[in-house]
Formats: sequence, structure tokens, C-alpha cells
Amino acid sequence: MMIRLRVLFLFLLPFLDCGISSAHSGSLKSEIQNPESGISRDEAVKLCAEANEKYLQAMKLIASKSIPEADQKLKEATDLYETALTGGFRNGQIYYNLGNTYYRRGELGKAIVNYRRAERLMPRNADINANLRLAKGSTKDKELSTEIPAVIKRIFFWLFFLNRNELSLVAISLYVVLMAILFFSTIRRYAGMKKLSIGFSSILFVVIVSFGIKIYLEQGVHYGVIVTSECEVRYGPGEEYEPKFEIHNGAECVIEDEKDDWYRVYVKVGVKRGAGSETGVGEKASREVRRGWLQKKYVDLI
Amino acid sequence: MSVYKHYCSILMSVFAIFACMGKLCAQDILVTATVDQNILTLNDQLKLTLTIHGTQDTAHPSFPAIEGFTLLYGPSISAQEFNINGAVSVRKSYTYVLQPSAKGKFTIGPSTLEYKGKVYSSQPLKVEVVDMPRSSDAQAQNLEKLVFVELSVDKHEAYVYEQIVLSFKFYFQKGLPVGDIDYTAPATKSFMEEKLGDQRQYEEIRDGIVYNVLELRTALFPMMSGELTISAAKVKCNLIVRQQRDRRNTPSDSFFSDAFFDDFFGREQKRYPIERTTDSITLKVKPLPEEGKPKEFKGAVGAFHMEVSTQSQHVKVGDPITLSMSVYGEGNIQTIHEPVLIINKENDFKVYPSESTTQITNREEVIRGRKVFSKVIEPQKPDLKYAPAIVFSFFDPHAGQYKTITKEPIPITVEAGEQEVPIQLTLSHNNVIPAKHQVQLLTEDILPIMTNLAALRNQGNPVYRNPYIAGFLFIPAVVVITSLLLSRHNDRLTSDIGYARTRRAHAMAKKRLEEARSMLRQNSPAEFFSCLSKAVSDYLADKFNIPPASATEDKVVSLLQQRGIKDDVIEDVSRCFTDYDHRRFSKDSGTVDEMARSLKLAEELITKMERQLS
Repeated sequence: MMIRLRVLFLFLLPFLDCGISSAHSGSLKSEIQNPESGISRDEAVKLCAEANEKYLQAMKLIASKSIPEADQKLKEATDLYETALTGGFRNGQIYYNLGNTYYRRGELGKAIVNYRRAERLMPRNADINANLRLAKGSTKDKELSTEIPAVIKRIFFWLFFLNRNELSLVAISLYVVLMAILFFSTIRRYAGMKKLSIGFSSILFVVIVSFGIKIYLEQGVHYGVIVTSECEVRYGPGEEYEPKFEIHNGAECVIEDEKDDWYRVYVKVGVKRGAGSETGVGEKASREVRRGWLQKKYVDLI
Repeated sequence: MSVYKHYCSILMSVFAIFACMGKLCAQDILVTATVDQNILTLNDQLKLTLTIHGTQDTAHPSFPAIEGFTLLYGPSISAQEFNINGAVSVRKSYTYVLQPSAKGKFTIGPSTLEYKGKVYSSQPLKVEVVDMPRSSDAQAQNLEKLVFVELSVDKHEAYVYEQIVLSFKFYFQKGLPVGDIDYTAPATKSFMEEKLGDQRQYEEIRDGIVYNVLELRTALFPMMSGELTISAAKVKCNLIVRQQRDRRNTPSDSFFSDAFFDDFFGREQKRYPIERTTDSITLKVKPLPEEGKPKEFKGAVGAFHMEVSTQSQHVKVGDPITLSMSVYGEGNIQTIHEPVLIINKENDFKVYPSESTTQITNREEVIRGRKVFSKVIEPQKPDLKYAPAIVFSFFDPHAGQYKTITKEPIPITVEAGEQEVPIQLTLSHNNVIPAKHQVQLLTEDILPIMTNLAALRNQGNPVYRNPYIAGFLFIPAVVVITSLLLSRHNDRLTSDIGYARTRRAHAMAKKRLEEARSMLRQNSPAEFFSCLSKAVSDYLADKFNIPPASATEDKVVSLLQQRGIKDDVIEDVSRCFTDYDHRRFSKDSGTVDEMARSLKLAEELITKMERQLS
């Protein structure tokens, strides 16, 4: 029985890769999901250095109240960061810096999208978290649909402390160590080897399950951010359907389905009833999950 | 004092009785004529009931003129008094049983009643007498008349978001035992819906027949313009008919046929399922007109009123004033938007988002309710005299136009606020412990960009999708599986003698054949055949895990047969055993060529057996 379990574990990790590959073949592709890198590291470093310089110049221009010039510099910095990212060079720093640039330009939605992408790649970075909180605080719809309770974050800390790559490296390391233990236990019968292999198998199992959850959270569930100032969520996928409610720049939503140029989303934000009143519903009603359809052009996928 | 109270209570009781009597007398008098069926055969009997509603103190109503019927008996008189939620109503019924004398269509004329100088008359009834027997079609038609359904709306043309009352009515003839009612509501896609009141039950006369009616009502609010369809509603029910048990003429029959026993033991009930479906309804929903749309209009449709109040009118600069704006009326309360504040100067007031509570106050006839918005404003200047004016616009579908309610500004008095104590930056020399202040956040801004270019690397390539790493993951697994199998093999070799002998049998046989070959070279026939015999017999003994001494020809042949070895191989083995023994112990050992052939045959035989036994 023990041998069967061990053999099962041996096959578990290599075959996980097949599952992940199929997860990648989903219909909606998030921004971070493109592994093809068209530019080298040196080119990316050069673009980022230039973009950082433009951003810092813009900051000085803002301080000296030269707003149009600062805006021009920020636009140039945005283009440079975007060039590095569209070239396939994905890095948390670049997303974070791009988020800052959009924030300075007043595009809250795009800033939040890029902070979220940076957060996925650099989950332990406090700066990203601080800027994201500040950006979210500036939005009209403050009820988050994607926020995970702090208690859950504390209990399953490793899931939120490590990014996907780090988690997969931990899993691979544990796998190799477990294999080594199993190998030595076959050629030399040391006392305690069995307990050690059971312990490592358990940890490896937890890490693999966590890795699966991480992949699901990042790629199985599609999150989006509203990148237009005001967006009407309708009853159906078309202009002929009546507006159901409105959400605003920076609001986060979960995408459930898509049809032509429309996404079916649900949000837990503070929604407005009617056609544009200030806040038309009570606090209880505003926390309800509301579903509807909105145009793809108003949403950026995280 | 107690006597006085006693008289008072008697007096009040008398007044109450007179008031009730007055109420009874004040009731409208109504005479109705009903029949139990309006299509019948010559063999049927017609039950005609004349009912006087509102009083019992009257003479008989006149018997109506009836052609084609003869009076069998009647009238049987019954008086009833109802008290429903304190409302007392009385009625008196006169029932006649009539026998049709001719077929055809007849009209039962009005019955008249004279009461306190006024003449009241019932409505005329139409009755048809047909040939007997009635066809199954006619029976079905009759059943259709017994139970039917209707779906209706109060209007067929409405504006978007206008309230429409949808009514579903289930009719079944009075006294008809109907049970297990299962209602399937119509699909109202493209509408918001609110239930209206509880299920209503009442009686209604249709074509002279009294029906019990169950009515369910819903308020619908169309969400889009165009032709919208409300699909059909469906109801399933069972007509429960009690059947008498078989009657046998036993002395106990008269006793047990009593209704009490029928109810107690339960007569057989037969259920006839009935299904009724209404027609679907198509509504024309008009969009709200663009003409005359006020800029404050945000989608409220109905008939609304607004009340505004505030609790505090004397405040200091920066103190909150809570404006309570209550919008109430008829329409979709949930979608009422917040009234608009008209603030002349942007810096006069600081305005906070409002909170709202919704309450549906009446859902009997139509949806009526109230939505209260509590909005906090803070005056920012001391010279302000009025709170902002409040405007609410809605579309009134009855009038077909937009209406705007404007509430005049509420007068307020704003005093200058207290001066804030400046932060003391230097410590006082007095021995007073300075008050602790919270760190004040002057401004909030994002943190600067990251500039550590040395740490820049592509994080977009997932490690787990690297084909080399995926391939590498299989190597440890293969190594461990191989080592596991080897370890198991070695363990078995040491612990399982049978397994070890089987695994080594071929190698041992080869070794012995080599010995035989060397004997052949030395030309020692006896030793040669001894080696050959030993090679074959030991090989088989190892394979079958039996002692070498037990590997006799008979035993080996039987074991080979059990293992399903081919007959030609078994014959070869048998021949070898006989041949080797013969040559070992006789002088006819054969030539060198014959010995070499025997060796070759033995080798081939062992190879064949190895293939078939493994």
C-alpha cells in the first residue's frame, strides 16, 4: 500500500504540468499570460531606464507646476513601459511603474490593473500594496469583489506570500528532496526514513494543492477592472438592453462569460440605481452581488 | 359611581346594536338569479336559486316567467349571515327545482321583489335544453365551463417602468371539489415584478352560474420598450370525486352507510387531473418621451410626492445637517433615485453620499411605498441663510408628461465655528505633560517608482511550463521506480527460495551444459550424459521448486502438462530422460557426433522450456 502511494506521488508532479497547460488554453487571456518574449533583458533594461528617467523628469515638472510638459513626459514613459511589456518582457517592477504613471495621468482604472498585475508577480512588495490601496481609495465604487479576507490570508500565508513561479520552485525542490529520500530508503534502510518521506509527501501535497489553487485564482477566475469613467452594466449583451446599474473607473469585477463584444460580469461594488443618480440604494442593497453585461472595451483584464 | 359606569356600558351596547342594525338596514338590496347548469338534457333537473342580498326581512321574490320548464318543487328557503372582518352581510335564498319539458334555448325572466316601496329585479338567464345523450365533446365542453382560467392585465399599452397589474384568475363552479392546485406562473422576462397582496378568494356569477374564484396579482414594471410578451400561465389540479363502496344487501348496510362511517373510513376518492392554460398577453411598451425631459430626471416612473425635513437648523460651520428627503407614492419604489440638491456656490456646502431606506407601504391594489434618503451636508461659511433647494423629477404615465417637485430651501442659521488651537511645536517649561497628538497625514500620494534595474528579469515565463524542467521531473521518478524494483527483486532473491531457484535455473543449466561440453571434449561419455541428465533434471527441479531427487520423468512430465507446455516439448523431455539414463548406464554411449547432437538437443530443449515456462 505504501509503495503504491509513493508511486502515485512520483507521478503526481510531472503530470501536473499537463493540467496547467490545459488551464492556459482558456478562452480569456490575462495580460501576464504571454510567455513569448520578443525582447532581450538588455533591451528591456534600456527601455525601463529611459522610462524611469522620463517619469522622474515629469515629477520635477509637476513640482514646478509645468503640467502640460509633465503630462507629455508621463505619456512618453507610459509608451516605453508598454513597449517593454508588449515585447513580452513581464516584470512586477515595470507593471508597478506603469501603474504609477497611469495614476499620475489620472487613469485610475489602468493604474489599478497594473498594480494588480504587479501584485501577482511581486506579492510581498509593500509599495505595490500601499499604492493599490491608495488608488482603490480614490475610486467611486469602494466595495471590492476580489478582496480575500485577512484571516484567510493569515492562515494560508504561503499562498499569498509567494508568486506562481516561487510556489512552483518550492514544489519542485520538495519533489526532488522527496525523490532523494525515497531513493536512499530503497538502498539503505535508515531508521526514520519512512517518517521523513511521509512528512515530505504531506508538505509536497499541500504545496501542489496550493499551487493548483493559485493557478485557478489567477487564471481560472477572470478579474477585470473598469477603465472608463462611467460604465453602464446592462441586462443583456447589446445596446438594445436597458441599463441595469452603473460602475465607475477602477471598479473591479469578475468576468463570468463573454459574447461578441460583451462580458457578463458580477460586481459587489456600491452600485447606482436608475440612470445616473448619486447613490440610489441603501447600504444593504449596495453590497449585493449584481450581474450584468458590459462592453469589452470598458474593461481591462488583470 | 359603579352604577353610573354600568348604565354607561349598557347605553354604549345599545348604541352599538343600533349602529349595527343601521348598517344592516343601510346595505344595498340586490336580487340575483343563478342556476346550477345552463346546458342540460330533457332528463336533467335545473336548480334555480333566487338570492336576496342585504336583507332577510322581505316577502318572496316573484317566480320568474319560464318557458319550456315545469316546476317540480320549491321553493326551499335558506337564510345566511356572514361576518367577514367585522362587516356583517345577510342573504336569503329561494331554491326551485325545474324539469325541462322541451328542447331549445330558453330565457328565465327576471324575478322582482318589492321592498320598502322600491322594486328590485334579478338579471335574466339563458338556458339551453339539448337532446340526450350528450356526446363526450359536449361533456368536455361542459367540463371546460366548470373549471377555467384567465390571465389579464389592467392595460395593454404602457411606458417603460410604468406599473402594470397582472391578474391570474382560477374559476371553478361553486361546490366543485377541486384539490391539489399547482400553479405555474407566466414567464415575465424583461419585467421587474412585485407580488401584490395575498391570494384573493371570492364568488362571481358568470352566465347565471356561481363560480369560486382564486385570484393572484402581480405588479410588473417593463424594463425595455417594444412589444413584450407575457407567456401563458398554467394550473394543474385534481377534481376529487368520492365513490360509494359496493353495497351488499346485508343487515349492517343501513347502519354502516351512514355519512359518519363514510367520512371515518374514507370512501374511495377518484381524482381526475385537469390542466388549464391561459392565453399569452402581448403588451406595447412605449419609450419615455425625450420631449420635456428635465435634466434632474433619472428614471423614476409613477406618481410621487416628496417631503423634506431637517432636525437641526441652528448649526456651526462644519457641523452636519441631515436632510431627510422622503419620496413616496405609486410606482417602482426600488428604482427611485435620489432628489437633486441645488447648490448655488460649490464651496457653500460639503455634501456627503446619502443613505436610503425603502419601504413598500401598500401592495394591495398597486405598489405604493416610500423611499427615504438621509443626506448629510456641512455648511462651510457662516453667512449661509438657507439649505439647498431640493428637486425631484419623475414621469407620470397617467398624465403622459414629466413632473418636477421642487422644495423651497429650508432656512438655517450658521454660526462661525470655534478656532482650532494651533499645534504647539515647542515644549512648555511648565511641568505639564504635553497632550499626545496623532500624527497628522498632510497629503496622500503614491510611493515612488522602483528603479532597481539589476533585479529586472522576465517573470512572464512560468518555471513550470519550461519543457526542460518538466522533462527533468521525470528523471528522479524513473530512478526511484527502478531502484524500487531492483530492491524488491533482491529482497525476493534472498527471502523466496522458489523465486531464486526459478530465476537462477537457466544460468545453472547453462553452467552444467558447459561442464557437459568439457566432458565431450575429454571424450568421457558416462560423465557427459550424467552432466546432461543433471542439467535437464536440475533445471526442471529449479523451475518447479522441487528437490532434485524428486525430478523423475513421470513427475516432471505431469508438472509440465499442468503448466500447459506443448506436447512435442514434453515428448522431447521424456525422450531425453530415457536416452540419457540408457547411455549413462549401458555400453552403447554412441559416437562423438551423437554426443554433440545430444548436447545441442539439450541446449535447444532448455531454451524452449525457458521461453514457455517464464
